[in-house]
Amino acid sequence: MGLSHRERFLRTFEFKSVDRVPNYEFGYWKETIDRWHMEGLPIEVQSDKDVELYLGLEGLESIEYLPIAIGIWPNPPSITLRREDDKEVVADGLGGIFVKKVYTSTIPHYIRYPIRSREDWKRIKPFFDPKTPGRIPLNWNDIIEEYGNRDCPVRISVGSLYGWLRNLMGVERISIAFYKEPDWIEEMMDTIIDLTISILRIVLKDIKVYWAWFWEDMAYSKGPLLSPKLFERFMVPRYKRITEILHEYGVKIVVVDCDGNIDALVPGWLEAGVNCMFPLEARYVDPYKLREKFGKRILLMGGVDKRALIVGGSAIDRELERLTPLLEEGGYIPTVDHRVPPDVSYQNYLHYMKKKKEWLEKHHP
Amino acid sequence: MGHCDKNRILGSILDAIVSLNLDNISMLCRNALELSISIQEIVDSIAKAMEIIGRKYEENEYFLSDLIMAGECVKECFKILEPLLKGGGAVIGRAVIGTVEGDLHDIGKNLFGMFLRSMGFEVIDLGVDVSPEKFVEAVQRYNPDVVGMSALLTTTVVNMKKVIRALKEAGLRDSVKIIVGGAAVTKEFAKEIGADEGGVDAYEGAVICRKWVEEKKR
Repeated sequence: MGLSHRERFLRTFEFKSVDRVPNYEFGYWKETIDRWHMEGLPIEVQSDKDVELYLGLEGLESIEYLPIAIGIWPNPPSITLRREDDKEVVADGLGGIFVKKVYTSTIPHYIRYPIRSREDWKRIKPFFDPKTPGRIPLNWNDIIEEYGNRDCPVRISVGSLYGWLRNLMGVERISIAFYKEPDWIEEMMDTIIDLTISILRIVLKDIKVYWAWFWEDMAYSKGPLLSPKLFERFMVPRYKRITEILHEYGVKIVVVDCDGNIDALVPGWLEAGVNCMFPLEARYVDPYKLREKFGKRILLMGGVDKRALIVGGSAIDRELERLTPLLEEGGYIPTVDHRVPPDVSYQNYLHYMKKKKEWLEKHHP
Repeated sequence: MGHCDKNRILGSILDAIVSLNLDNISMLCRNALELSISIQEIVDSIAKAMEIIGRKYEENEYFLSDLIMAGECVKECFKILEPLLKGGGAVIGRAVIGTVEGDLHDIGKNLFGMFLRSMGFEVIDLGVDVSPEKFVEAVQRYNPDVVGMSALLTTTVVNMKKVIRALKEAGLRDSVKIIVGGAAVTKEFAKEIGADEGGVDAYEGAVICRKWVEEKKR
């Protein structure tokens, strides 16, 4: 069965038989690639995409998003205000100030968030204007032609309802606003939705898109950052406004990228038409339970426990074995359950790659 | 003031916090003080409310956003009570908390601090990316009952061990109880690095700290 990349992807998510499931991976920390350079990875292999091409993956990083700007636009330049030992204090260009480590990848620690009040929001709102030039590339006709000829499943980012606002406001401020200023939350979310819809209306009529991607990162080890009640009230109806358009244009696979324990959010996402969960952090999410509960309504991606790669050897073999029935059932594309951390040696990763390739050839729907 | 009035107003404070009602909480605390209800009794009501909140959180009835809102209610209460607390005896203990060096995550630490405060702890929050030296300095300066360390990343949890080693070298280890937390921290890990407790959630951690200071006082 000689399938193209796109057919392989679509058939896997349609629970149909394939020659093998696509070999995707989420990506790598910068420190991981630095470590691997000391352990045998050629120095010219630098980015996630480089690694994936070098190791023969069809990786997520290699499947580009359509080059459109949904979200803050234009991106204001950030300015380093001062350097303190291994830290930099940075003005983010939106009114926020954060501290970041210079040599290690970690999330920026905001000492002043860009949005602290409605006044701040008024200042930032114009950055979500759908009419700002440059959101759609000026050489759009070339893009249409280029993406029309690809054999990979073209992917589009459809942004974020909670994640972006949380990053602009901080978890504490946004949580309180949901209770104290619900109209403000609604206004901010509607601004984002109106932008996303405007762009989708232009793009989807010109280019065949196969999957859409939300980014939320709104859960942690114990569960969601936002209570499911608030999630269902504020977010589910708004997701629907986007997924209705996606469905209208035949985009049937809608992914949400959300780390942590997502169990309490899954019913809302499914109701909203967001049907593929990623990256299924193994410590918190049991993909078998999700499949048992939601059947073929739910698509799954991720789920390979990164801790097995840290241990290496037979732990990796056992981890793949654990996921074999799910792989064979279909509707599932395995990847490591987050970016590969620097505790994973290059040797362990090569072992994982070798075993995973054999595993994908041997077991498939 | 009758016993019933007192119970009613303390019950209203408890209810307002449990139902995450920020609108009335300051007024209720002021009313309680005006009716000569002792600070200790108000703090006890707040602690009881947070116990209920903690239980609801453990039972997946409340989530992080609810905890933060409850914390906001408690903050409002303490805005009223704090100026009066200095001379009073409502503080049950002192805790120094921080996210360890290399790690900038603070949600878990902040929640832990919120529960500690609601239980009557004075909390000295050292922030994020805190070096072992800063923990040692803080223990020397504040003489806390408890040191709480947080870390999210598998690459930074190892720095908790460095803090414990630094406290040992400074001869301070035995003067404090140490609790460690964060997504990558397990009970086994806590034991392995020489902490007294760890691998529990923010509320459970605060309950353990309260138990420690109560035992110390006995």
